[in-house]
Amino acid sequence: MITGEMKTLLWKELLDLYRDRKTLFTSILLPLISLPLIGLMGLALIEQQTVNIAIVDLDRETYTNNLLNITLSSKWIVENLTRYLERYGYNVTIAENRDVVENPRIDLAVIVPEGFTVNASSLNSTAKIIVLRKAGVQAAARAEATIYSIIDYFSQNISDAKINALSRLLNTTIKPEALRKPVSAYTRIVGTFGQKVSPEIVYRNMFARILVLGFSFVVTPAASFVIDGIIGERERKTIELLLAAPVSPQTVIWAKLIAATILGLITALADIAGLLVYMASFSLALGVSFTLIVDPLLIGLHAITAFFTILVTISIALPFITRTRGIRSASNIVGIVTIVALIFFFTGFYVDYIKLPGDVLTPLYLIPYTHSILVIQAYILGYTLRSFLHILVLAIASIVILYIASRTVNTEKILTAQS
Amino acid sequence: MVREVLIVEDIHKIYDGKVHAVKGVSFRVHSGEIFGLIGPNGAGKTTTLRMIATLLKPTRGSIFVNGVDVVKDPINARKYIGYLPEEADVYTRLTGYEHLLFYARLYDIENVEETVRFGAKLSGLGDDLERRAGEYSKGMKRRLLLALVLMRKPHLAILDEPTSGLDVYASVRVRRMIKKYVSETGSSVVLSSHNMLEVEYLCDRIAFIHNGRIIDSGSVEEVKERYNVLNLEEAFVSAIERVGGRK
Repeated sequence: MITGEMKTLLWKELLDLYRDRKTLFTSILLPLISLPLIGLMGLALIEQQTVNIAIVDLDRETYTNNLLNITLSSKWIVENLTRYLERYGYNVTIAENRDVVENPRIDLAVIVPEGFTVNASSLNSTAKIIVLRKAGVQAAARAEATIYSIIDYFSQNISDAKINALSRLLNTTIKPEALRKPVSAYTRIVGTFGQKVSPEIVYRNMFARILVLGFSFVVTPAASFVIDGIIGERERKTIELLLAAPVSPQTVIWAKLIAATILGLITALADIAGLLVYMASFSLALGVSFTLIVDPLLIGLHAITAFFTILVTISIALPFITRTRGIRSASNIVGIVTIVALIFFFTGFYVDYIKLPGDVLTPLYLIPYTHSILVIQAYILGYTLRSFLHILVLAIASIVILYIASRTVNTEKILTAQS
Repeated sequence: MVREVLIVEDIHKIYDGKVHAVKGVSFRVHSGEIFGLIGPNGAGKTTTLRMIATLLKPTRGSIFVNGVDVVKDPINARKYIGYLPEEADVYTRLTGYEHLLFYARLYDIENVEETVRFGAKLSGLGDDLERRAGEYSKGMKRRLLLALVLMRKPHLAILDEPTSGLDVYASVRVRRMIKKYVSETGSSVVLSSHNMLEVEYLCDRIAFIHNGRIIDSGSVEEVKERYNVLNLEEAFVSAIERVGGRK
């Protein structure tokens, strides 16, 4: 129950926060723009990266397989490879020999070796194209993937031509696919309980993973706000007068924690808004339905989980904050707590906690952040009840930790830590 | 009948089991009286005042404010106490008026509006109360803080160096404010100060505190007569020299 004193303290805290435009601005703006900015900037910079590719034709031959009546020219391969790569925006140069790879400006070299056309058109050998990629050049790895897909396309065309020639020679109908790839597999995405789901579910899952990562962005500003609320108020010489009022130091601290959690929640909402912008552009680019990717209940769960995650973080940090001398030392100590949180949320981005074996997961249950992650992961995999259960555990844990932490708050410690 | 608003009995404060800051201080303050606690830096003035204000727990001894045991029932005792710390400051983003409103509400006063009006009058800040306190001069801030402490007319006001760091003009305004408040309300004040002129102007009785002990006390005139000196400053120096303090 919120008492009259608590209301008064909250009124002061929130009025102060409302007028602290710099804190509000940075708390809202940073998470709002960070994800879309990461996406857009990443895309823009990737496009700007130049990759210099050299193609070396050591074969320089046109060969006709008389049996199959197939003619293959290395010049044709080089010309088409160049055309496709230039279409993807790469800088392509034709080189005379493989020494070109010694040129530091060249990121990747494609070598068409001697005998390529003979081997490629033969029925009992295979032809190789050598790709020399410079280590550590990220864009070269992307170019390599493009080259492999172009070569696959050439390979398929040559294979089709050979099979069609054999078909003519044998005077029988041969489907190229039946010879080239008699066995194939394909995947159909289904729900946790085998139900039919739309392909967008994959992106929804990715959205949920980013939401887990998003918890990282909200714990830090809330913790900073609490540090400022307690240590900052002591340094600004306003806390002694406040502690002399007929309210318990616990009530004073709770009001500060609630105000910090509200700030954290505002940050979480800004984070979600940023994520929605990011996902909207993503859905537009992929032509998938935005409404299928974004689930309002999931966003609601994220907001509630963020609230309790912030509360639990600042409650754990509270006994240390009230016992430190200055903002810097308090920030360092709180940094340790938030780093633990960040480790969990980053692992939650790529580890399915819900799939961890019992003997691994059970001790992790003792860390409240495990429940923050499981709220989202359980919901996205269809375990709605379990998701709600983790919210309940997180809520109880945060209230219990807050209660214990506030019992350790002592006016004398707050005042004498400065002297 | 003169009533004892504050009874301090043999209080001690030992920090972390090592530093014995206050060593058996005892004194009493009557209603309508201004009592001055005078001593050099590190004498134990602030620790004593903080213990009376319920912010520090005495290691030993007892303190009663208006009959309430400060150690056993600090929250109740605070209702009768107004405490102005030496280094108190304002919330820079709140207006003067919002400060008055905040503290009036926090003390659960029945007539908040009337209390705020009285606080506004006490501060003498007028229209400046609508401005953010961060824009105030040091003197204005101190007057606002003093008004916050005194506006609800506490039985006992504890003022730690009320004019510390203020210029002459601002100091005089604060002193007049204290004097006027006591004469109008009949409340009691315990204050600490380095400024002997201030003490002579304000206090009815004083106590010299040195190394955590009270070394002398009485009315200003009594103390001056005892040391056969013309002013309190000389009495203070003589008292310290008598106990083998600073030379």
